[in-house]
Amino acid sequence: QVAISNETRELLLAAVSEDSSVTQIFHAVGALSGFGLPLASQEALSALTARLSKEENVLATIQALETASYLSQQADLSSIVEEIEDLVARLDDLGGVYLQFEEGIETTALFVAAAYKLSDHVGTEPAIKEDQVIQLMNAIFSKKNFETLSEAFSVARAAGALSQNRFHLPVIVVPDGPAAVSHHQPVLRLQVTNVMSQLLTQVSVKLDQAKSVSSKATVLQQLPFTLSGDFFELNFMSVKPASGYYDFSISVDGDKRFIANKVELKVKVSTEVGIINVDLSTVDKDQSIAPKTTRVAYPAKAKGSFTADSHQNFALSFQLIDVNSGAELIPHQTFVRLHNQKTGQEVVFVAEPDSKNVYKFELDTSERKTEFDSASGTYTLYLIIGDATLENPILWNVADVVITFPEEDAPSTVQSKNLFVPKPEIQHLFREPEKRPPTVVSNTFTALVLSPLLLLLILWFKIGANISNFSFSPSTIVFHMGHAAMLGLMYVYWTQLNMFQTLKYLAILGGITFLAGNRMLAQKAVKR
Amino acid sequence: RFLSEYGGGTAGRLKALDAFLLYVLLTGALQFGYCLGVGTFPFNSFLSGFISAVGSFILGVCLRIQINPQNKGEFQGISPERAFADFLFANTILHLVVINFVG
Repeated sequence: QVAISNETRELLLAAVSEDSSVTQIFHAVGALSGFGLPLASQEALSALTARLSKEENVLATIQALETASYLSQQADLSSIVEEIEDLVARLDDLGGVYLQFEEGIETTALFVAAAYKLSDHVGTEPAIKEDQVIQLMNAIFSKKNFETLSEAFSVARAAGALSQNRFHLPVIVVPDGPAAVSHHQPVLRLQVTNVMSQLLTQVSVKLDQAKSVSSKATVLQQLPFTLSGDFFELNFMSVKPASGYYDFSISVDGDKRFIANKVELKVKVSTEVGIINVDLSTVDKDQSIAPKTTRVAYPAKAKGSFTADSHQNFALSFQLIDVNSGAELIPHQTFVRLHNQKTGQEVVFVAEPDSKNVYKFELDTSERKTEFDSASGTYTLYLIIGDATLENPILWNVADVVITFPEEDAPSTVQSKNLFVPKPEIQHLFREPEKRPPTVVSNTFTALVLSPLLLLLILWFKIGANISNFSFSPSTIVFHMGHAAMLGLMYVYWTQLNMFQTLKYLAILGGITFLAGNRMLAQKAVKR
Repeated sequence: RFLSEYGGGTAGRLKALDAFLLYVLLTGALQFGYCLGVGTFPFNSFLSGFISAVGSFILGVCLRIQINPQNKGEFQGISPERAFADFLFANTILHLVVINFVG
């Protein structure tokens, strides 16, 4: 027996106040309720409501829901119950498949557990719609491995809440093995469980309708499944369906609380294929000789060999039927494979059905020589038949065909197309340098361009330009030095500096030159 | 007749400037002719040299107009010294750009 001291009781009661966080109130109320100690529900409720308006996050609201489920029903818990609807509005819809809080799966699972616990306590159906419950389940049960124990705990609580509450019971329908029937296995078996994978057998399972996917015709309607042991069974082959896929709409009833109880299931009906009326013939191109036809029965091989060369084409025709029903079949894969016995080459063609569902294949050597690389020789002919709904795919060595291509096209040796040998090396072509004139020409031009300078000096001499008026005042000297320095700076700029450095030096030199020049020119003007 | 009038009527300073302008003109023409003959590689160098010639010619012409005593009436506020200073300044900027571009 656990004895609770008075101090502990006082501590817990004191914690139930506006000054504690929602988590503290939740733990205190839970402890008091667990110990069976008296608790003033109305005061706890008002503390909780006051506290909740200050802490607006999702986790606090979920804990408030849990706390309220401990409080007496005499208190008006409707304000807390309304929080369920607000929380549902805060869920994120991911692609129409998942519904979860942005805080993650753990928070979503805790919400589900808390919402159903409170709803059971108060007796009001939670404000969560059926497809929302399905989407919540998709999100919560999407993982099979959990990183933290708390995450696993929350998922387990949610599963427990969804399998035992007063309002919503999701139903899971699981086929036994793949959902496929055939002549050997004509019965479709289903298991019906709740979220905790516990079998529900006190229910009725009904096939609302079964529609063929290809023809959209309804094959069955309103048929109940029979309970046999743990499984619900239906003998689908009794209506002799054609092979293919069918959409089953199944509904599970038995309890008003059932949700997600209308299920769509894709069922495959398989069968066995038979090949009949197999005719091999050589057809003369000129049509002068009547075609020679040989009939072969599966799985025997045709005796003798057939020829295909420049005068004759080889032709193959056959029909495919469903062995059990006799109906004609069009499987997905109907291939004719020709395998060169000497070189190992193989060429595969598709046999196509005509309007009467008779498969035809014709080999014309002149049309098909590229596929064969013009390699003449004896080829073994195989017929390959396959489909997802066939239980007996077929690989049948039908006959030998001697194919002769015109001589001039035959390659000397047939090389197998090996993709993984080194390819020829690519030589990189570097960018060609621009065409330049020979050095002689450019040197000549340089001399030529400097000749006008010579002319200028001669002309100046003739005119009589001189520097006789040159006064050696300091500003004049400074001006000319500064100007010369600026010209020198231009040269240095060309060879070494960048624009910013040049501008810096130019500013200094230019300033000096300007001031000196100003003085010099002013003196000149005065003299004039 | 033109030559005799020119020789007599033009001040010495102007004649010296004219000689300079002729020099710049010839240099520019030679550059252009070379480019036509041999090709435009490297194009930036050709442009830089040519623009230097053309720009210097234009600035020289401006200076000549401003210095000419016969035009004194139109340039009241600008003394020949001031015109020369402007000429130097503009040339500095022009050749800064030219050197930047010559590569």
